[in-house]
Amino acid sequence: MSRSFYLSPEQTMRELIDLNRKVVTGIERLSHVREKDIQAGVSPKEEVYREDNVVLYHYIPMVEKPFHIPVLIVYALVNRPYMVDLQEDRSLVRNLLKLGMDVYLIDWGYPGRGDRWLTLDDHINGYINDCVDVVCEWHGLDRINLLGVCQGGTFSLCYTSLYPEKVKNLITMVTPVDFHVQEGVPNLWAGCSTTAHTMDVDTLVDAFGNIPGEFMNLGFLMLKPFQLGLGKYLEMIDIMDNDEKLLNFLRMEEWIFDSPDQAGETYRQFMKDFYQGNKLISGNVMIGTKRVNLSQVRVPVLNVYAEQDHLVPPASSIALERYVGTTDYTLRSFPVGHIGMYVSGKVQKDLPPTIVKWLKERTA
Amino acid sequence: MAKALTDVQKQMWESWIGLMRAAPAPTPVSPAMADQWRDTATQALKGWTTEAEKIAKDVGQRLINSQDCVLRFLELSLNSWNAIAPKVEAGEDWNTVLAKYTEQLREQFLLSPQAAQKANQDTGELWGLYLEQWHKLVQPWASSIQQAPWRVGQASTGDGSALVELMQLYGDAYERTFGRLIESPSLGHTRELNEDLLKGFSAWVEYRQASFAYQVELGETWTHAFEAFMRNLIAKTEKGETVQSLRELLFQWIDVIDQVFAKAFRSDNYIQLQGHLLNTAMTYRLHERGIVETFLKTSHVPYRSEMDEAHRRIYHLRKEVKELKKELQAIKAQLSTQAKSQPAQG
Repeated sequence: MSRSFYLSPEQTMRELIDLNRKVVTGIERLSHVREKDIQAGVSPKEEVYREDNVVLYHYIPMVEKPFHIPVLIVYALVNRPYMVDLQEDRSLVRNLLKLGMDVYLIDWGYPGRGDRWLTLDDHINGYINDCVDVVCEWHGLDRINLLGVCQGGTFSLCYTSLYPEKVKNLITMVTPVDFHVQEGVPNLWAGCSTTAHTMDVDTLVDAFGNIPGEFMNLGFLMLKPFQLGLGKYLEMIDIMDNDEKLLNFLRMEEWIFDSPDQAGETYRQFMKDFYQGNKLISGNVMIGTKRVNLSQVRVPVLNVYAEQDHLVPPASSIALERYVGTTDYTLRSFPVGHIGMYVSGKVQKDLPPTIVKWLKERTA
Repeated sequence: MAKALTDVQKQMWESWIGLMRAAPAPTPVSPAMADQWRDTATQALKGWTTEAEKIAKDVGQRLINSQDCVLRFLELSLNSWNAIAPKVEAGEDWNTVLAKYTEQLREQFLLSPQAAQKANQDTGELWGLYLEQWHKLVQPWASSIQQAPWRVGQASTGDGSALVELMQLYGDAYERTFGRLIESPSLGHTRELNEDLLKGFSAWVEYRQASFAYQVELGETWTHAFEAFMRNLIAKTEKGETVQSLRELLFQWIDVIDQVFAKAFRSDNYIQLQGHLLNTAMTYRLHERGIVETFLKTSHVPYRSEMDEAHRRIYHLRKEVKELKKELQAIKAQLSTQAKSQPAQG
């Protein structure tokens, strides 16, 4: 073995044995983990409205007199919304509640085969609009605050352009707007590059019906196959003797692999109109019979993006400023990745106060 | 339970001793060792997580897979490095040695798709493989259909004899239509089904070709990744930098390899190959469904397209009901407002 490469057989064997001892001990610890230990979605909440698979939750306020205009969180259809309330010390929801906000959340549920025909029209003109109406009615308000996350942010933009009279302020988090930004591998794979569209969305939906969650997940894991498929588990070995860190890791694993199927027709339109056609910024997206025009978004907008986002490239989110009609536009970023926006301790320290301050300043 | 656990532990530690013995002196890892490690760890995982939650089992399995990958990676990298390092240190030409290893790796990666590509040209062999797929798909189907009426009969009447005829009917129907056609495609009884099978065959061939092309591309990328990793090590050695631990080496490998793959994944060529693979797979799936549905129709079993159509109709009805409810509510609200604004009569 080379002198410059200090890996003797003995040393490597010792390291391997040590590594494997940790793995064996770790597997033994894993066998004691129970579902309740990794329960996500920790903040107390109540169901206030249900329509088909969709449930609107109201989080129990943590202050006696919460802020009078509530925030409705619109999450993406991809993965589950409990990421915003993963655990006590990693919870956007909990931090907003602690700062006096009144928070609602739309849970899209798990679409079954019978939901295959649901469209973007059903999601935006239907479910989101109905949930907004319910919250407005409960609070005796005409308008509420919307907080859209990722694809939920794109939906919130569409909604705000179609129903400006029902939105007081709009917050978009890690939201794709310009789907032809070339930095994003998902954009390239969907067919936004200079070559012809390589992904035949119609055949995909016709063949699958609903798009399986596993298929979606595989696509995300392929973006960093070795870090996400190997490196992550090697790093895990070092935390296996720490119960708290191990449970945190497992909670995250649970979330990553908890991927609902995507309603076929919704997926078809989202991929073709947004990813392939980039119609959101050209003003050609039709939601049912209504045309989305981002210049109609005239309410105050806070756009938050992650600087190291490999799913939604920063440039895709930053593009929003060029298309919205508002004169009150604020851009904020954090030096984390897509998921870091929810789980990074630093972001969770800074982001909720930023949101609350921004909202209060605009609600005189 | 406790005994089972103890047995598993004992067995596992015995295997560990075997594992240690399997390690040859000059190199830390050998293929036998990697295989044995995987068997041992899988055994332990099964024993220890029998009653564990699914997520714990899944994570455990991923952990074992990652360890397995580590050992295999070590085997290849250390062997290569053992050959290259003396040349680097002696200031000799190491490019030839690296090229030799890279070429060996390329051959390994590409051997399988190339062999399959060759088989691809043999239509007879392909047709055999295609039918093999269909046998796998149809066999459980046929047996379940044959068993189902019997079970239903037993449950409902306590005597299944009345349903024997029905069972035979199903069996005959299968034999008359799909079964024989599978066995001898050229003698199909129904022209339509025969045509569907042939179209399915064509779609399957295209899918396999796309799959080979994709594998070749991945094989090339793996080769580039290996070469990049070795060059990275050589560059470090030439600068006098050292790799101090297995862990450091592994994470360097992951970094380099992810970068190479990330670059490949962005290339037009890869995107087109991946898209083609997906499109041909889905096209074949549609043909497959068509053929299965022909069989199901004959067997009086509801099928996918039929269910989809039923769901579509329910969806539209549900939507209509929602709209009507909203209109009704609006009318009620309007009437209520009018009633309040009108003075009470009488």
